[in-house]
Amino acid sequence: MSTVPIMAHMVSHYPDRETSLAVARALLDAGVAYLEVQFPFSDPSADGPVIQQASTVALANGFKVEDGFELLAEITAEAEVPVYLMTYASLVVSRGVEAFCRAAAEAGVAGLIVPDLPFDYDEGLYAAGSAAGLDVVPVVVATIAEKRLAEILARRPQSLYVALRSGITGSETVLDSASLEFLDRLRADGCRVFGGFGVRRREQVEELAPHLDAVVVGSQLVRTLSSALENPDEPQSAAPGVEVVGSRGANGANGRGSESTEAIRAVPPAARAAAVGAVRAAATELVSGSGSGTH
Amino acid sequence: MQSRYNDYFGEFGGRYVAEVLRGPLDELQEAFCAALEDPEFQADLERVRDQFIGRPTPLLHAANTSNELGGAQIYVKLEGLANTGAHKINNAVGQALLAKRMGKRRVIAETGAGQHGVATAAVCATLGLECTIYMGVVDRRRQRPNVFWMELYGAQVVSVTSGAQTLKDAVNEALRDWAASFDDTHYLIGSALGPSPFPDMVREFQAVVGRETRQQLAERRLTPDALVACVGGGSNAIGFFEPYLEATRPRLIGVEAGGRGIETGEHAARMLGLGRTGILHGYKSKFLLSEDGQVALTHSVSAGLDYPGIGPQLAHLGEAGRVEFRRASDAHALEALRTFARNEGVIFALESAHAAATALDLAPELSPENVIVINMSGRGDKDLFITARELEPEAWKAFLSEEEASL
Repeated sequence: MSTVPIMAHMVSHYPDRETSLAVARALLDAGVAYLEVQFPFSDPSADGPVIQQASTVALANGFKVEDGFELLAEITAEAEVPVYLMTYASLVVSRGVEAFCRAAAEAGVAGLIVPDLPFDYDEGLYAAGSAAGLDVVPVVVATIAEKRLAEILARRPQSLYVALRSGITGSETVLDSASLEFLDRLRADGCRVFGGFGVRRREQVEELAPHLDAVVVGSQLVRTLSSALENPDEPQSAAPGVEVVGSRGANGANGRGSESTEAIRAVPPAARAAAVGAVRAAATELVSGSGSGTH
Repeated sequence: MQSRYNDYFGEFGGRYVAEVLRGPLDELQEAFCAALEDPEFQADLERVRDQFIGRPTPLLHAANTSNELGGAQIYVKLEGLANTGAHKINNAVGQALLAKRMGKRRVIAETGAGQHGVATAAVCATLGLECTIYMGVVDRRRQRPNVFWMELYGAQVVSVTSGAQTLKDAVNEALRDWAASFDDTHYLIGSALGPSPFPDMVREFQAVVGRETRQQLAERRLTPDALVACVGGGSNAIGFFEPYLEATRPRLIGVEAGGRGIETGEHAARMLGLGRTGILHGYKSKFLLSEDGQVALTHSVSAGLDYPGIGPQLAHLGEAGRVEFRRASDAHALEALRTFARNEGVIFALESAHAAATALDLAPELSPENVIVINMSGRGDKDLFITARELEPEAWKAFLSEEEASL
């Protein structure tokens, strides 16, 4: 089975600094092509319940933006692949857009993904990012108006991040031909194209890979980590195939409640090793198709 | 004349959303602007206001309280007498009619105190729209009666267990739903905030409160010296103030939740230097944030004021000096609630009681020929379980025990 380029997502300091550093190393070991590190925000409304819960835990454990940059510097020093920083507008504008971009560049980050700072309401992010040598990545959707897409492309972004379904991260993506054609169009335009949202199985990765520069896998890897941390005695080998409900409007829309926020406070070393191992296995499966679930 | 669609108010406002929501917001802006120009839409709105909301709501001269204080004449716009008990119905009706006009079959909304949820559920019942309401479990607990009403109207009430489990988290969940459902669903936001065009749209649908008040005052040959309204997100305040925003008078006073006292950190006051400029829920405004930009926890005895942000237009008007901001504490609001109940036979919602408290402070500073108008944005029935527990704890406990025993 051939390897495919994956952009692997993780939440900084979830559940704590040490575990998240180990997760970063495991993802890099697994051979991911890009690493996307998310700074936790209290109100991540463009993310689903899995990432919100991880963010809540990291914040409950005292995450500060300064800590995030410090961790990023350590990760980027080791990583041989580009590391992108994803977060929300509130964290960027609170620090000051220029200061945030400088700190990100100093931490060795290749680029920034801030979904709630679109190019026409960007608070100066694109200019400041460019000045700091960062690849600021616009997030687009297949349903975008032609005129808007043309405006984005006219700005000659180095990369584009395509949210492959309407909705939030972590729900099932149905890949239709229109979505694939959209990706092909973008790449024909000369952009590096990352795409994701809802990717959780190797078959999806294989289907998408020919149309993308990297397939973004986000919630699935965070979910693998959180499941392993919450249920340390259960084997995690089936993680990439796990189906978790993420449908709209259901009572389960919020996932776990705050109770589990307390539950993950201190991670015993053995549990950490097992959880990180589960993430490594899941990422390896997605990158290389080795292990279970190949077709 | 002010524009009906502004996007920004000074530096505040905007449309800071992930791309997935951009299309639906562009569509909504277009539909909103077109509807305002459409006589048929206006006629529908008038009919529903007349037959369903029960407009106009009365303007009461609080003569006993005014005489007792010996200062300004206090008037109370009894907006809480509108159907479903609060001003929220004005916006719910406007947006739900717009949603129908846009061909949506489903409406979603967030709610804090539950008044917006109740209003939305009621409107959806009468207009035949499917309805889902997101409500934080903390709010659900303290405003349980409203959950009962929403469900009676046929709405699905989804408990939000993420984050702080209050209004802000309900907004997050509603945004998530909408990102996946906008083809057939309208997000009926309840306050004058969120990404544009919501702040403009909610102000326009709430402006009926201010316009009606102005007319009622004119009929009595009264000129207001001060208008006082509570401010959570600020929809009742911006609608109440709307006819006067371009003028220099009367004084427009917005009252934030002082909670247990600013020094305790347990409050929901964003203005007067406490909030920081930030971006949340798609708009730029003043928010209670940590230095890093994480959203702070808020407290108010009234769930409707328990929100970390303020509508962008009010934030701008505050910075520009057109709207004065004051605070009322939980205790102060409860005291005002008691005063108006005894003197005037009117029970304020806890939110609106913050405005009442400030008016009681302000009246003695003015003379008897001056006129203060309070917007009683909601009536207090919904707060029975909070108010009774706060004001008559022993008697209330005994009653609840008896009730439980009788079940």
